[in-house]
Amino acid sequence: MEQFKRKHKYNGLLVVIEGTDGSGKSTQLQLLKKSLQDQCYGVMVSEWKTSRLIANVIDDAKERNLLNATTYSLLYAADFADRLENQIIPALKSGFVVLLDRYYYTALARDVVRGQNIDWVKNLYDYAPEPDLVFYLDMPVDTLLKRIIGTTGLDFYESGRDVGFSTDFYKSFGIYQNKCLEQYNQMKSEYGFISIDGTKSINEIHEIMSNEVQKILDTGILD
Amino acid sequence: MSKLTEKHHYDGTLVCVEGIDGSGKSTQLALLRDWLKDIGKDVIYTEWNSSELISQTTKLAKKKNMLSPRTFSLLHAVDFADRLKQVIAPALKAGFIVLADRYAYTAFARDVARGVDPNWVRGVYDFAIKPDLAVYFDIDPKTSLERICSNRAPKFYEAGMDLKISNDPYESYVIFQSRVIEEYKKMLDEFGIVKLDANDTIHKKQVEIRKMLKTILQNKGVEV
Repeated sequence: MEQFKRKHKYNGLLVVIEGTDGSGKSTQLQLLKKSLQDQCYGVMVSEWKTSRLIANVIDDAKERNLLNATTYSLLYAADFADRLENQIIPALKSGFVVLLDRYYYTALARDVVRGQNIDWVKNLYDYAPEPDLVFYLDMPVDTLLKRIIGTTGLDFYESGRDVGFSTDFYKSFGIYQNKCLEQYNQMKSEYGFISIDGTKSINEIHEIMSNEVQKILDTGILD
Repeated sequence: MSKLTEKHHYDGTLVCVEGIDGSGKSTQLALLRDWLKDIGKDVIYTEWNSSELISQTTKLAKKKNMLSPRTFSLLHAVDFADRLKQVIAPALKAGFIVLADRYAYTAFARDVARGVDPNWVRGVYDFAIKPDLAVYFDIDPKTSLERICSNRAPKFYEAGMDLKISNDPYESYVIFQSRVIEEYKKMLDEFGIVKLDANDTIHKKQVEIRKMLKTILQNKGVEV
């Protein structure tokens, strides 16, 4: 079988699921984790904005409306750095399959929509290892909107209210998420995303992801 | 090119002091502030790692030795960005003289001494505004150590203990701060920073700083 070449220098495998809020990333992550563990692979999952160092600060600052576009970017970059150095890289070194809910593509999309220079944002993350696979869950905004209203409800920052597109939550959400989608679309080819139609059923999507991961595992890379 | 190398166009004037701990920079800045207030100028003062947003978190993380060179760098950048956007830039727009105790150069010196890539950290701070006057107080690390540690041991990060250079905090301090000083010296030409000898008397240093600031203000058409 053809030898798979890792995109980074570590022993493990780095798999990322990207997509806007409500696109079904965490559901797929859990399914993928289970199917890999069933095959006896070590799996580590890490989600966006969960570092012990800084995640609470971000939530608190958002609640109190303390953030400007620059501090927003930098706080997320600090959260990322902490998780990368303390969880992700150690797990990759030990040969785990690391499954990530969002990666720096999220920051690129959101920060650029908030008016940051893309090269400045890229520099913030330029030390991060390149993932072996990036799945992108492609969802139309109206479907997203329904999902989010039906589950968590519209959140101030997820609706991009801080950017000042509109004081109307519904309108602001639409504008903000559309702009994020534009950014993701531009990244698709630049970073070689595997784009999946997010309106497919949960099982269909899982099948696609599972097959892609399996192709790599079948090369014996982690055996 | 970064804003740090381009002259700003605000009405106000930005002055910063740099140097390792114990170099006497805060004393000089306080003297400058009192004088400027006395002569009726609008002045504000801002200090490194003091933003409402993040400084407490950073202090706590330092106490717990939780920071890597990269997260150390990014958290200080958050603090700086917060103060720059909410305090420094608005004051400069309103025509104030802004006195900053430490500026982006502190990050360039310390972070690079910790092994962070110099271009990366300069990139992170490329939103910073170029000061009208930046003064570096040159002191040797042993004198600095004597001044700040007469009654306490050097702290974990100020001694660079995270780099595991030495188990002795005093020895580690001297080695680490020598690296910081080296980085400062590389920046003098790069950013046009004025070097003063920290061993000079308080009076002599203050006279020099006032002279430099007067020239800058006069060139802006401000009466002193």
